[in-house]
Amino acid sequence: MPNNTIHNENEKLLKIFAGIRCLNKDQLPRYLEGRLTDVEKHLVEQHLVDCDLCAEALLALQQEGLMEQYPSLSSGIQQYIRDSIKPVSQVHKMEHYARKVKQRESMLIYFWLAAFILGGGALLFGLSQYSSRKPAAARTAVPVVAASVASPAPPPAVVPVDSTQLLQSSHKPAALSAAANPATPAPVIPAVKKDTVKAAPAVKKPVVDSAAKKPPVAAPKPPDSSKKAADKPKDNTAVAAKPTAKDTPAAQITKNKEKENDNDNKPKTGANAAPAAAPATSGKVDTDEYLYKAAMVYQQHGDLDEAISRYKHLSSVNNSRVGEMARYQMAVCYRSKGQMGKAKRMFKEVVRINGTMKQAAQQALDNM
Amino acid sequence: MYQQLSNLSDKELISRARKLKDREAEGVLLERYSHLMVAVCLPYLKKNPGTGAQTVFPQLLQRLSNGLKIQSIQKANEWVHQTIKTYFAQPEKQVPYYPSRESRDRLHTENRVEKAANNTIEKQALIAQVKTAIAKLGNDDRYLMEQFYLENKTFADLAAQKGTTVDKIRNQLKKAKSRLATQLTN
Repeated sequence: MPNNTIHNENEKLLKIFAGIRCLNKDQLPRYLEGRLTDVEKHLVEQHLVDCDLCAEALLALQQEGLMEQYPSLSSGIQQYIRDSIKPVSQVHKMEHYARKVKQRESMLIYFWLAAFILGGGALLFGLSQYSSRKPAAARTAVPVVAASVASPAPPPAVVPVDSTQLLQSSHKPAALSAAANPATPAPVIPAVKKDTVKAAPAVKKPVVDSAAKKPPVAAPKPPDSSKKAADKPKDNTAVAAKPTAKDTPAAQITKNKEKENDNDNKPKTGANAAPAAAPATSGKVDTDEYLYKAAMVYQQHGDLDEAISRYKHLSSVNNSRVGEMARYQMAVCYRSKGQMGKAKRMFKEVVRINGTMKQAAQQALDNM
Repeated sequence: MYQQLSNLSDKELISRARKLKDREAEGVLLERYSHLMVAVCLPYLKKNPGTGAQTVFPQLLQRLSNGLKIQSIQKANEWVHQTIKTYFAQPEKQVPYYPSRESRDRLHTENRVEKAANNTIEKQALIAQVKTAIAKLGNDDRYLMEQFYLENKTFADLAAQKGTTVDKIRNQLKKAKSRLATQLTN
């Protein structure tokens, strides 16, 4: 019991500094009329100790004649506050709403703007991707010829026939052929031996192959086109060409060169093709390897369809090691997809190619 | 919305009116003190019959509304009271509200008590401090404080005991409380 009383006393001590609200409209007249409960009255008086406003209001209302004016004035000022605040508040709300609507509209505009920019960006990206793939395909088309140049399987029977045809078709002077390629001193330098020219068809083979496809049509063209280009260096090349025309081996070589020029009338200077064969093939190999690696990346990412399409592309344009690898990986992709028939066929193809992947392919076939 | 705002404390309403520019919160706050304003203004209106309620109250409310936007208000009742006083003392001049030293001490102690409400250790420490501060008060003040706060005596009872008026008892209690608050603050 004494503990409780001490506790209550302590609580009452803190009550000295308790924050109590001002008297409300209802309490003010009731306090004056003595109609408050004891607890309520004590609370009001606790507040009155601090609050000068309430104390002064009570003192004022205790004066004679003022209590009568109080209710009407009090309700009047309250009405005034409500009237003055409400319209403003309504206007404020309307403004707020209008601002919100504007914000939403502007957000929509920003959204569409962003969407448009993103769409445009995506389109551009797609176009750039498309264009980057397209030249890749074009690049592969050119090296295919170069690769066939490098491949060591030339049909020997074709060479003499084509060369003779070319010899017949190319009646243009050596000066012109030299003029077509003024930068390359090739016509003179390789003209050391007649036999070597004949014995080295590997270098000239692309010329032969392409010339064999359209020998008579290509023949009349070169003089016209080469004449235009030969205007400038004509004097120089004529001097160089004169001695070549005299001796027969040199003449043969120049004829061969003419053949090359005939081939090159179309897209590129074929005279450069012979010396440029090696770099072209290496560039092609690089491209194929990159394509192969890209396909590998797709495979690793699980995009097997894309990987297969890329491998297909590689295997269709390339018969070399990359092509073999592409076929092998395509088989692996098919196996991963569960298309065992296709996978087997591919593995068999790899085995048939008889390359470095033969053993692995055979093993895979055995395991299937 | 009005009902929700009327349940908020003065501090929250002031904050809303200032930060959010909430006119409704401002209206609720002014309405909360409007009846006291009327009661306080009545003697002045009676003394100066030339000044009508239609001009005084709108002007006062406008002054309060302006003050709400720019002044730092700790206690709304003191701010309203001071604004009314200065309005009638100097109608042309707008004197900014600034709380007195005693008022700040009281507010500080009130905040401490409010914070210690759920902290027993803090509460005990505060009670010990209040006891010590009361012991340091004069006999008359201590007697009044104990009778009013601990014995729950009314102003009228104490006035009857002392043979003075209720207003004098209130003023004496107010001074005693201010001394107590100053002791606790320092």
